[in-house]
Amino acid sequence: MIQGVLSRAPATDAAAAAMKAKRAASIPEDEDSARGKRLQLHDSAAEQGPGLAAASAAETRGLRLLRLLLRCAEAVAADQLPEARDMLQEIAELASPFGSSPERVAAYFGDALCARVLSSYLGAYSPLLAASPLAAAQSRRVSSAFQAYNALSPLVKFSHFTANKAILQALDGEDRVHVVDLDIMQGLQWPGLFHMLASRPCRPLSLRVTGLGASLDVLHATGRRLADFAASLGLPFEFHPIEGKIGHVADAAALLGHHHREATVVYWMHHCLYDVTGSDVGTVRLLKSLRPKLVTIVEQDLGHSGDFLGRFVEALHYYSALFDALGDGASAGAAEEERHAVERLLLGAEIRNIVAVGGPKRTGEVRVERWGDELRRAGFRPVSLTGAPAAQARLLLGMYPWKGYTLVEEDGCLKLGWKDLSLLTASSWEPTTAEDGLVVVAAAARQEGQDS
Amino acid sequence: MDTLFRLVSLQASEQQQQQQPQQSASYNSRSTTSSGGSRSSSHQTNASYNYYHHHHSSSSSGGGGGGGQYYYSQQQPQQSYYLEPYQEECGGNAQHHHHHLYMDEDFSSSSSSRHFHSHGGAGQPPTSSATPTAPTPPLSTSSTAAGAGHALFEAADLSFPPDLNLDFSSPASSPGGGGTASSAAVGGGGGGRWASQLLLECARAVATRESQRVQQLMWMLNELASPYGDVEQKLASYFLQGLFARLTASGPRTLRTLAAATDRNTSFDSTRRTALRFQELSPWSSFGHVAANGAILESFLEAAAASSEPQRFHILDLSNTFCTQWPTLLEALATRSPDDTPHLSITTVVSAAPSAPTSAVQRVMREIGQRMEKFARLMGVPFRFRAVHHSGDLAELDLDALDLTEGGATTGIAVNCMNSLRGVVPGGARRRGAFAASLRRLGPRIVTVVEEEADLVAADPEASSDEGGRNTEEAFLKVFGEGLRFFSAYMDSLEESFPKTSNERLALERAAGRAIVDLVSCPASESMERRETAVAWARRLRLAGFSPVPFSDDVADDVRSLLRRYREGWSMREAGTDDSPAGAGVFLAWKEQPLVWASAWRP
Repeated sequence: MIQGVLSRAPATDAAAAAMKAKRAASIPEDEDSARGKRLQLHDSAAEQGPGLAAASAAETRGLRLLRLLLRCAEAVAADQLPEARDMLQEIAELASPFGSSPERVAAYFGDALCARVLSSYLGAYSPLLAASPLAAAQSRRVSSAFQAYNALSPLVKFSHFTANKAILQALDGEDRVHVVDLDIMQGLQWPGLFHMLASRPCRPLSLRVTGLGASLDVLHATGRRLADFAASLGLPFEFHPIEGKIGHVADAAALLGHHHREATVVYWMHHCLYDVTGSDVGTVRLLKSLRPKLVTIVEQDLGHSGDFLGRFVEALHYYSALFDALGDGASAGAAEEERHAVERLLLGAEIRNIVAVGGPKRTGEVRVERWGDELRRAGFRPVSLTGAPAAQARLLLGMYPWKGYTLVEEDGCLKLGWKDLSLLTASSWEPTTAEDGLVVVAAAARQEGQDS
Repeated sequence: MDTLFRLVSLQASEQQQQQQPQQSASYNSRSTTSSGGSRSSSHQTNASYNYYHHHHSSSSSGGGGGGGQYYYSQQQPQQSYYLEPYQEECGGNAQHHHHHLYMDEDFSSSSSSRHFHSHGGAGQPPTSSATPTAPTPPLSTSSTAAGAGHALFEAADLSFPPDLNLDFSSPASSPGGGGTASSAAVGGGGGGRWASQLLLECARAVATRESQRVQQLMWMLNELASPYGDVEQKLASYFLQGLFARLTASGPRTLRTLAAATDRNTSFDSTRRTALRFQELSPWSSFGHVAANGAILESFLEAAAASSEPQRFHILDLSNTFCTQWPTLLEALATRSPDDTPHLSITTVVSAAPSAPTSAVQRVMREIGQRMEKFARLMGVPFRFRAVHHSGDLAELDLDALDLTEGGATTGIAVNCMNSLRGVVPGGARRRGAFAASLRRLGPRIVTVVEEEADLVAADPEASSDEGGRNTEEAFLKVFGEGLRFFSAYMDSLEESFPKTSNERLALERAAGRAIVDLVSCPASESMERRETAVAWARRLRLAGFSPVPFSDDVADDVRSLLRRYREGWSMREAGTDDSPAGAGVFLAWKEQPLVWASAWRP
């Protein structure tokens, strides 16, 4: 614990460490070199000096945009907001959501910086979505963009397939199944799991899905779709919608069913579209007290905490890879529209949140940066994904004409990358032992007693 | 192929070799950039890196500056701000988790506040009591001048205003506002008009200086807006920038940097592509071209028929459409002249606001001149082309110096005012009327006037000598509402006419965004975006000694067949009968809403 504090205490080190983690593979680094790297970025941007206009002919638009973005982020970090606004005009002029991948990524980072500058002036940072009549409409839009994303990129399928394989392994021999999806959206992946469960020799006696989400309407629609699908396979099915966030669920009993023999698995695919947990601490506590058979998570390899500039540079790197992976230059009409919708509604929204004051949660508090580490501390141990899930992921990447994606197995986790940059890490966790689990629950109960 | 991704990777790997020099030297100096009243240098130094460690130095840095700047007056120990909600949340476990706290730099910068949001998150119902209770400083327009501490408002935790019943329905559903802003119904599309509602409410709050409400509404707009989203999101984005520039009194600066950015990045090809694509997909500019060309051609042919002398015509072209109007006129002149094709001179005055892109336009016009001359040779029209660049108020253009008579050789003059009369900045001294009178003195055979139909002059500039330029709150609200109506319809027509992913549309929207910033945040006395209605222009032209020339049936047929080439939604309407004071010319309407007016006049 103390180690954690020390390593996080100075803002710079955490950000530097996050940067370091990106390229840890080949070159061993220390914090100084990470910091030097960022200074170098800075220096190259500063060289341009007053000659904002004097861009040399040889300089490509992408490089100009990169430099402008970094200088603008620096101005924001230094609280030089009028200067930042000036640069944003130039960025908006050069960038385009319909251009090459550098132009596209710059368009969204420029837009995000613009929103951030305004919110700094306004002194109002909280997201609007949570408490607005927009929630349902927005939730539907995001859901449909997710479907499009699922078709355009292997990232979503990677998350779904890998998790389903891990869950199926964990459920071996279980006939009462409970799946908790911390952010279910349309529940795209569960028909796949249902199918696999239905084709096992011993079909489940009960199958229950608990889905959390911001809009009850959307949850109900998801529940109906899943129920229809389960019925078509002849599976007994129950859907339990929870409108709200996992970290705010006060009592694990609200999630648990009546059957004590029920095996619970938890799935959570991370993103920066909105805050899923509500409270990281509450989430960890709840996961412990749920005593799930398996927790399977897919995390973005992207830091959420830390100072603004570190977060910005890391996100720029990360999303440049994502946009690059979605294709360079213009594609055919309908395909480009689809890609535009995905980039605007998903990636652009994430970028806005990351660049916003306070980061993705808009509060500045990120207590859990790497959930794997946190689960380990909370009494879980990793379940290796190197077997069937890895084979599944490899099959997936081979199936699609998606050149450039990479799959790396590391400490039992699976890492999906674009070229050399790791984008997603899938990992699975189980409570260390049953006894430990009980101890944890007892501790949680004691703690709750103190609370009240 | 060089993507940003690769560029970042490249830079990063190069930098791995670098060692950071003198890291300690840069710490703690952040306060130098945020303190005091002077604007800090616009160029970064290494000092900008110390935001890393400035938790303890920054919050007290602000200080002076204009009234209304907000620096948290209660400088409580920062930790307590973090702990409060935290304890609430994890109950009694605070000490343990305290160490996990990660302090974001954002919350220790002077531009923001350590205000914490309740962690209600998604479960938080739309409460009505969430507006801040702290005393609110008066709205200030001077706080940015201090260079640091830009906050306009006290930090606040905001929620949806309960008195607004916003319409977020999808455009497919029926229109209808509701709430206090239901009058914001604007034409075109129907459906959720939340942006117009919110923007009007916000403008009203700006006018009445209700700063808490301004903060709340701007927060909502900022969260919802996107220049790359649907029409409502775009309107929210561009008008929000305008309101923001107004609140920070940075309109002229914003306009200058916008124009400079456009100037640097505009090429002949991109300008041409945008103009051609616009004409291909929308009749917005070709409507005026066809109507005006028809009137000019008929006037010239009439003169040629009445005289046996060889004719030499001169068109004074006050336009901003890069001569895309003229090829069809040249062609018509060549094919429809009974005898010798008359000589034609065109003097194009490219008139632009002082803040508008200039060097890019000059580049473009040079290229266009060459192409025009080539085209005239091809058509066999004896031709002379001249481009004159005029910056600022069109009223200051020296018409005599243009020598339209070409030393007496010219037999007929036409004046083509294509969205240019609004370039005479409104203001006292009957400036626009006077300009019309000066056109009259040129003795033209015909004057064609095309203007966009919107009432954006706050007070009648002819009414009194000092009223026009004054930007009272009432005037601001009127212009804001009317500008919103006009640009809503314009953006709506762009949205439906262009493909969803079009860089040309984006360029047109950005140009509209510049006009919006001008209208919302710049003084009318410098603005060249102050459109007026057909009624106002017609009255002015009559007063200057012009009478309307009705478009012939041939011309009206040409316009109608032009509109048939575009998507549904466009129509032509007569402005009225000749007797009515407004009865001159024709309108181009988008979904029943007249947006462009074309007319012809003779002395």
